Amino acid sequence: MRKADRIFAVIGLGLALWSYLESRKFRYVTEFTPGPGFFPFWVGLILALLSAYLLYDSYRREPSKQDEKKILPEQHALVRVAAILAMLFVATFVMKFLGFPLTLAVFTTAILFILEHYSIFKSIAYGIAYAAVTWFIFEYMMTMGFPKGFLGI
Amino acid sequence: MEVLSNLAGGFVTCLTPYNILMAVLGAFLGTMVGILPGLGPSATMAIILPITFGMDPIPAMIMLTSLYMGAMYGGSTTSILVNVPGEASSVCTAIEGYQLARQGKAGTALGLSAIGSFFAGIFGMFALAFTASTLAEFSLKFGPAEVFCLVLMGMFTIIYVGGKDITKSLMSMVIGLGFGCVGTDMVEGKARFTYGVSELLDGIDFVILVMGTFGIAEVLESAEEFMKIEPMKVKLRELMPSFAEVWQCRWAILRGTLVGFCICVIPGSGPTIASFLSYGLEQTVSKHPEKFGTGVLEGVAGPESSNNAAVCGAFVPMFALGIPGSGATAVLLGGLILYGLKPGPLLFVEHPQFVWAVIASMFMGNVILIIMNLPMVPLFASLLRIPYSLVYPAILVICIVGAYAVASGLFEVGLMLVFAVCGYFMKKGGVPAAPMLMALIMGPMMEKNLYQALNLAHGNIFVFVQRPISATLLGIIVVMSIIAGSKRVKKARRGVEEEEE
Repeated sequence: MRKADRIFAVIGLGLALWSYLESRKFRYVTEFTPGPGFFPFWVGLILALLSAYLLYDSYRREPSKQDEKKILPEQHALVRVAAILAMLFVATFVMKFLGFPLTLAVFTTAILFILEHYSIFKSIAYGIAYAAVTWFIFEYMMTMGFPKGFLGI
Repeated sequence: MEVLSNLAGGFVTCLTPYNILMAVLGAFLGTMVGILPGLGPSATMAIILPITFGMDPIPAMIMLTSLYMGAMYGGSTTSILVNVPGEASSVCTAIEGYQLARQGKAGTALGLSAIGSFFAGIFGMFALAFTASTLAEFSLKFGPAEVFCLVLMGMFTIIYVGGKDITKSLMSMVIGLGFGCVGTDMVEGKARFTYGVSELLDGIDFVILVMGTFGIAEVLESAEEFMKIEPMKVKLRELMPSFAEVWQCRWAILRGTLVGFCICVIPGSGPTIASFLSYGLEQTVSKHPEKFGTGVLEGVAGPESSNNAAVCGAFVPMFALGIPGSGATAVLLGGLILYGLKPGPLLFVEHPQFVWAVIASMFMGNVILIIMNLPMVPLFASLLRIPYSLVYPAILVICIVGAYAVASGLFEVGLMLVFAVCGYFMKKGGVPAAPMLMALIMGPMMEKNLYQALNLAHGNIFVFVQRPISATLLGIIVVMSIIAGSKRVKKARRGVEEEEE
């Protein structure tokens, strides 16, 4: 956990610097009230102080049970998480071209076949079923206006 | 008497076939969510929220409230039958409940937890009606300076009471305030942190943040391993505890109810803390504390009553002050904003029909839930046999739909995925996401009231200490900070953290 704290502290310092730099683009105060730069300035300053404290504390404190805990899961679990995220990003990217129902069908099939080791036929069947139910509820009944792909759906 | 007549009006409003249907749907979904480990009530409400966009506020809120209560009811089922708490607030139930199940008393434990939850829910509903309306009446005296201090106090309470690690909770809150700055500034109308992206001009929608950091991040964490759950079998006829068993637990149910409601009126405490306190209290007052951990009925009845009463308690600051008491109520508060309602004390004045209907619907929700949870427990328990590998793709699909529904754009879906990555690593690093979400909701409120207070006071920054209510609130923040910073409290907090591990 100490390592995680240090990483989080460094990210916090980076975000603090970003907020401070953004605040400099705007006025800090107007005649009576805070200006647009007021809040980002204080967000940056407080975040920097807290991050610095977290960093200092991670070196100073006695190691606890929490500190001995591993932050990330085993490699195979991390690969699963990364794969799910990658598929989600790809699905978002290709939705414009494939259209909503087809993307969902392919996405679900891919997860079930690649990650969960279902047979290809079962994966496709579940993929089509999920996409059809979602499309029926949200597009047909609720007319949410999802992106249409090259198939026109 | 006025409260009772308002409540009666609430019953008239909420008892329509459509509202009852929504309550049944919410209760069913909530029970399922409570039973299935891997997705909490906050995440589910966040996922369901965009789907309720087109609905009227009353049925939508009735559905979400029933869902929240249902999750508390359902959480006990998995705890008792599988020893895997569906919710964090069901951890104590798992300790005693699973031991009871191993002794062949699963039905008794489930029945007692449902009866305790029902009593707590009904008591909590009445207590909420009286407390929230009185508090809201008082808070009508608040001006911008008081509201600013109140929001500040709410945020600090959430962190000091609920956060495990104060520094990380504070950082999460400040980052949330930073997210709140994104979009068009309210003073001069200038775009902050947008970098030419038009989708960001209206700010970051809290639904996107909550679905990413709560919804998808929770799914990712659960999907790390292949999950296989084998619940114990329960027969329908075993589900009613005997009268003697209920009578034996009467004080535990009452104590749990009072602890749960009173604790959760404080923003940030939440049902988990309430159930742990109730379990501790039962152990303290018991004549045989050494038997705890081996299957004690009071150890199930107390915490289960407590976490249900806590749901009603958490609504008090949300309805009366516009401050969310927990992650789940933060989602509900965000929902109010989305439905075009202004949370805070004026809600009782401007939309009394809405508030009283939602409060009254809690009675209806509890009745539906006890009917659903006593005879239908075997059915719900069989849901645990559905492999998680089939459940999580469906949840991800609904998240994509929900994010798309926010602004009918893929930018929001992408942003949600970025938050999901952040949320996953925050979970791993022990950084709570709830303060960030609350700060995103309350940050703009805070900035607006700071601006108005200083404008009215012609820039006099001492306005916050010159007005008695705001000065008192600031005083409370200072006292809380001193207490939270004291070595004794820090040591106790670390001890609890290690015990939970």
